Amino acid sequence: MSDPETFAAGPASELDGREDHAPGDAPSEDAGYWVHNANFGLALSVLLTAGAFAVVRSDLVWGPAIPVALLVLAIAQMGVQLVFFLHITTGPDNTNNVLALAFGLLVTFLIVVGSIWIMDHLNHNMMPMQQLMQMQP
Amino acid sequence: MSGDALPAARETLRRRGEDPHRLGHRAHGREAVAGTGRGGSGPASKRIVVGYGFWIFLLSDVILFACFFATFAVQRDATAGGPTMRALVDMPRVAAETGALLLSSYACGLSYAAANARNKLWTQVLLVLTGLLGLAFVAMELQEFVGLAGRGIVPQRSGFLTAFFGLVGLHGLHVTLGGVWLATMVAQVQFKGFRPEIMHRLTCFNLFWHALDIVWIGIFSIVYLMGASA
Amino acid sequence: MFGKLTWSAIPFDQPIPLITSIVLILVILGVLALVTVRGWWGMLWREWITSVDHKRIGIMYGLLGVVMLVRGFADAVMMRSQQAFAVGAHRGYLAPEHYDQIFSAHGTIMIFFAAMPLVIGFMNFVTPLQLGVRDVAFPTLNSVSFWLTASGALLVNISLFVGEFARTGWLPYPPLSESAYSPGVGVDYYLWAIQISGIGTLMTGINFVTTVLKLRCPGMSYLRMPMFCWTTLASSLLIVAVFPILSATLAMLSLDRVFGWHYFTSDAGGNPMMFMNLIWAWGHPEVYILVLPAFGIFSEVFSTFSGKPLFGYRSMVAATLFICIVAMMTWLHHFFTMGSGPAVNTAFGISTSVIAVGTGVKIYNWIFTMYGGRVRMTVPMLWSLGFIFTFVIGGMTGVLLAVPPADFLVHNSMFLVAHFHNVIVGGVVFALFAGLDYWFPKAFGFRLHEGWGKAAFWLAFIGFWVTFVPLYWLGMLGMTRRLQHVWIPEWGPLLDWSLAGVAILVAGAAAQVIMLVVSIRQRDRRRDTTGDPWDGRSLEWATPSPPPFFNFAQLPDVEGEEAYWTIKLRALESQRLDPEPHYQAVEMPVNSAVGFFTAFFATVTGFSLIWHIWWLAGLGLLGAFVGFVFFAWRDVHEFHVPAEEVARADRARRAARTALLGERGAEAAAS
Repeated sequence: MSDPETFAAGPASELDGREDHAPGDAPSEDAGYWVHNANFGLALSVLLTAGAFAVVRSDLVWGPAIPVALLVLAIAQMGVQLVFFLHITTGPDNTNNVLALAFGLLVTFLIVVGSIWIMDHLNHNMMPMQQLMQMQP
Repeated sequence: MSGDALPAARETLRRRGEDPHRLGHRAHGREAVAGTGRGGSGPASKRIVVGYGFWIFLLSDVILFACFFATFAVQRDATAGGPTMRALVDMPRVAAETGALLLSSYACGLSYAAANARNKLWTQVLLVLTGLLGLAFVAMELQEFVGLAGRGIVPQRSGFLTAFFGLVGLHGLHVTLGGVWLATMVAQVQFKGFRPEIMHRLTCFNLFWHALDIVWIGIFSIVYLMGASA
Repeated sequence: MFGKLTWSAIPFDQPIPLITSIVLILVILGVLALVTVRGWWGMLWREWITSVDHKRIGIMYGLLGVVMLVRGFADAVMMRSQQAFAVGAHRGYLAPEHYDQIFSAHGTIMIFFAAMPLVIGFMNFVTPLQLGVRDVAFPTLNSVSFWLTASGALLVNISLFVGEFARTGWLPYPPLSESAYSPGVGVDYYLWAIQISGIGTLMTGINFVTTVLKLRCPGMSYLRMPMFCWTTLASSLLIVAVFPILSATLAMLSLDRVFGWHYFTSDAGGNPMMFMNLIWAWGHPEVYILVLPAFGIFSEVFSTFSGKPLFGYRSMVAATLFICIVAMMTWLHHFFTMGSGPAVNTAFGISTSVIAVGTGVKIYNWIFTMYGGRVRMTVPMLWSLGFIFTFVIGGMTGVLLAVPPADFLVHNSMFLVAHFHNVIVGGVVFALFAGLDYWFPKAFGFRLHEGWGKAAFWLAFIGFWVTFVPLYWLGMLGMTRRLQHVWIPEWGPLLDWSLAGVAILVAGAAAQVIMLVVSIRQRDRRRDTTGDPWDGRSLEWATPSPPPFFNFAQLPDVEGEEAYWTIKLRALESQRLDPEPHYQAVEMPVNSAVGFFTAFFATVTGFSLIWHIWWLAGLGLLGAFVGFVFFAWRDVHEFHVPAEEVARADRARRAARTALLGERGAEAAAS
């Protein structure tokens, strides 16, 4: 539509003629490729899930560290599913998708961590509601 | 009327004549900007627009879940003398639920690959399989809730149980509504075939279903497993 | 059968709401009768109700916003007069339970149903034109969004006649809003009206993020987009980020109220403070959702009427995105006094002060845009200058409130009320009036009357300060907000001043109405034949006024910032337009009634959930589902505008443009 020379500096030139990717797209390669991809993702997910259950059931991990281990495994599995099921990559054709994801994760992080932090300090400074209720005759 | 039309534009041209270097009057970016935005190609195709828009919706849905997660984290100890998370966890059932949803997600991914290869039979078979596994998940969750209610463990009991049922129930509701959507998708593929708009909807459904599995990873790790180990 | 709904829901014993609603119903019936007599139903249905054209939807949003603005303003007049009358031994004319509904309705309506629709209306009308494209990313969804917003507004107004509205303030703080303390349907009206319109707003946000990021004309890279598009993007990103929080919070409160759950109750482990935390995690960014597009409007106005490019365009973009991110990190400053302690309060106090830096950058950029330019003192420019003065002072009182120890002294006082009206009226409302005057010729094809516009500005500007300076003062004296009765007689004179200010504001509103009436009567004289009445710089001015429904015969090819300005200067210099393109057929989305039907079912469902008519709620949801499937099943999504029709429209536009070049250009074109 327009002169490619003018816009050659943009990442469009790195796309080998392919335009852009929507999240979850499975373009160009044949179906077999995506089946292998999904198999690999499933195998990794099963491993990570089994790992999470194992961490809780056995005493492989030091007790107080279990929540951290579970969080790590959960985040790893979310990453696996993003890559192998949702086909999110770091390629130039995925910039917008990854940026949107990063924005969403930032907001999620702010809400969860912010709320926990605020309410935790509140509970430290104020008497928790249950104790207040228990004090009532 | 042309005399007083476009005063600013005429003024700019006059000043440009007086100031050959156009100091301070030059619009920036007269040269092509090597901007990061890919404006070169014009509007994106419908496929990209639909997929991206749905992606943005999913992010907003994840933020919805984040609020329920945050509430759960805050209310976890607000048991009001009632049962704690430990009393609620039934490990084999959680494992079965997790397995069902993971396999459902996997089947959904395969159905999408089949749809991309325009194979109607396999697309439909795998979509139905996706739906059955999702149904199994919902059934197990319902059975869990009914069982808990039988033991007097209901959301009205305490702030903690409210947060628990709210978070897990919201996910269950999403899976249920996703199932209704899936049923209409099966019908659409059957009667309309792989038209562009049906393919766009399949892309969106695929994204939705995977996202529900990703949310479930958070729920079984943070709600159930952490609750069982605490 | 009908849940909690009985005849006692209709306020036969309260004259004010009864008379108001009878008048309202008569007005509505009158309008419907007029439409029927004139035979406008078919036209309305085809051209407006089922329209998916972003310009039409933008205008409908504007209309909804203006009607609700009048309603909210009427509430404001009642509040200010009640406080002025009810001092000392006097009781005023509003009973406490009625007064409480009025201040709740005022805030709710002004934010959700006046400011939001107006801001979104501008986003709708302007953004696709400025990006050089033919519509938004999801035109049908856009229509659904609008009708859901209208459905929420309808529910709020039904509460005037059937039942009652919330008495809990514009944000229903628990435990007051829990069923134990607010057993009536008022809070339910609030919850479902906001929930329904909130879903509409969320879809608007998704739509515009996708539109700005994925639909731009060739050559329109990010750093060539007009400032208004950047602010639309930032505002839409914030909508996507925080409206789910609103939905979640209101859903939790609904679960508490309907099923007796314990999210925010004060017993059984519920945590009312979590509501403050969540609702403000939405509420603070909401302020920026409103004000960022307002900043975009001012940027366009300053640049156009100074005849210069926007000063510091890139710093403006950076400041916009900075505000977009930091806006989500300041929410605790709305409840410093809750008791989270020094560490938390300090962190949020600092982030609140820091966000003012981004706004400061913008203020300086606007001032420098005027510097060295030939400033034309038009009506939009007056609003913009009034904004700078008003907003800087409002911002400074905000920075005062950002200091937690200072906030403890004036928290929930009239000082706070004055502060947020200072920023919202000075920032958002002034922008809306500036934008109205600026884009009105583009939307309707004729200019608004200058004299009445200027009168409206001066009356609003003076009236604003006369109204709100006394409120700052009262806040410093210790008057808390939302008082139905004032015990301290010394405050009486200040409240009278404030009421006098309201009288000036009423005159300002009257001037706006007269401006509209006079302009419409003189429309043939005020016609904008050129499409570029203000000597504008962005692509919307490249179209005729009003633009054809397909906006552009051929998508423009943009070569730099200020796309239209570049084209215009080239044409002026060479005294000829760019060569006529090869016209092709244009593909446009077909009209759809799905938005209207969705809103109909949403209203039915919302109303029955408010009154606990469960079977009807179920029917409403089923209807909406069937509607969606029916919509999904349609086969025709687009129609083609033939190339000849496109060519005819564009040749007329080119003729008008050629006339604009001046006599020599016209002669050259003729020869």
